Amino acid sequence: MSEFEKLKIVTKYELLKQFRRKRFYGALVLTLLAVILIIALYKGLDIPGKLPALITDSPKLFALFVTSAGATIPIFAAVFFAGDSIASEFEHKTGYILFPNPVKRSTLVVGKYIACLTVTSLIVIFAYVATVIALVGIYQQLPIEVFGSLALALVYANSVLGIAFLYSSALKGSMGATIATLLTIMLVFSVIEVSLIFANIDPWFMHGYAGDSIASVYGVPFAAAFGGGMPGGMERNPDPTTSFFVMLGYFIIPFILSIWLAKRREML
Amino acid sequence: MRESIVIEGLSRYYNGFLALDNLSLKVRKNEDVALLGPNGAGKTTALKILCGLLRPSSGTAYINGVNVMEERERAISMVGTMLETPEFYPFLTPVETLSYLGRLRGMSGQGLKSRIEEVIKLVRLEEWAKVKIGKFSRGMKQRLALAQTLLHDPPILILDEPALGLDPRGMMEVREILKKAKKEKTVFLASHLITEVIQVCDKVALIDHGHLLVYDSIPRLKRKYRTSLEGVYLKLTEAAI
Repeated sequence: MSEFEKLKIVTKYELLKQFRRKRFYGALVLTLLAVILIIALYKGLDIPGKLPALITDSPKLFALFVTSAGATIPIFAAVFFAGDSIASEFEHKTGYILFPNPVKRSTLVVGKYIACLTVTSLIVIFAYVATVIALVGIYQQLPIEVFGSLALALVYANSVLGIAFLYSSALKGSMGATIATLLTIMLVFSVIEVSLIFANIDPWFMHGYAGDSIASVYGVPFAAAFGGGMPGGMERNPDPTTSFFVMLGYFIIPFILSIWLAKRREML
Repeated sequence: MRESIVIEGLSRYYNGFLALDNLSLKVRKNEDVALLGPNGAGKTTALKILCGLLRPSSGTAYINGVNVMEERERAISMVGTMLETPEFYPFLTPVETLSYLGRLRGMSGQGLKSRIEEVIKLVRLEEWAKVKIGKFSRGMKQRLALAQTLLHDPPILILDEPALGLDPRGMMEVREILKKAKKEKTVFLASHLITEVIQVCDKVALIDHGHLLVYDSIPRLKRKYRTSLEGVYLKLTEAAI
């Protein structure tokens, strides 16, 4: 049997595991609640009315607000599903059943990754479907940029998966891997990015900055809309194409390291 | 190939602690050998290296002539393993778990389905076949672990304390299953339960502090030391302290 056939088997059963877990359905409910809350705040607090005069309420502004405020959804979804993907095999000793099989560790890691990517993507797509329904319901319009934003959100979620897989392969416990991923993305990367901005260095290569392309793709000036300008007069407006490749890099490098670590890791 | 398992000069350090000290032994085809020794003797370490779960600090191991360190997947495909107290994915049922592992081992279709039914019946888990494993007791998981070991009908069984966690009836049933299996398979079993060893195995490799003290058939050991296997065990492990 080829390694590709084995990959299909691993992916199938990893997906079955993910769909059997309550956390998938919990994530769906939380995502829906988050989108409803953001929409309610946008309308209830009359956000467009509070913005500078040159920015008026529009489907694009609404979509930008909902999808950028909900940019943490890809982070939490990816960490939720990937944090324990490798670590739990060692922590909960399920590796004693899985690893002594004629299948390469790299195949197991890739199979787990595909399953995690699938469920994470479903959560992100679900958030966008809810946004689209709201857009059509409120404005009877659907800006085409929503699809670009969705594509970038999926790439962003994928980059978080890469980082989560790296920690999951390196650390002993699932909880440690989950917390380390969140701290890296939400604290370490943010501190570096802010420091670069204050040093007048364009942080185009930073994870969070590239992730802002999820919002910048709408073409509404970020700084004007939400006061997100940067010192030195730099406009916080990441280029979607550059950001796409930056986020791809944040996936590829950690994921390759994750495979290397998982292959070397022993069942002690 | 006359030897199912060949271990050559295996050593393993854990942070400077020598857990396995230049262990060498051969297990011939259809032999049933127990790796006997006190807790911490290095039994599990030896089995984990054989299954490719640990790397040795030095030495090598072969399964049916295939180097485990160089061709792990090919070597392991000829083996059914049961190590430590295995855990299963709590969200899957025994049928799903066995189906997953069977497919990874190249089984499929009706053949896999009927073999799953067979092994589930063998370990007496029929009533629990479609219940999520999260609800299982330790003994039930141990039975399922034995089922997955036998699933692909491997010629070699590598088992670590197979009756651990089972009640007396469960222990007896597991030993009966192994006694039947050993007629046509090579069994390499780690245990510190002398009753289990006597019932299942013909030969004993007694190890302590990571090195081999003696390796011979049970009757010959009894004759040589003029005592029971328990007596041999106590005599040799005491001498090694």
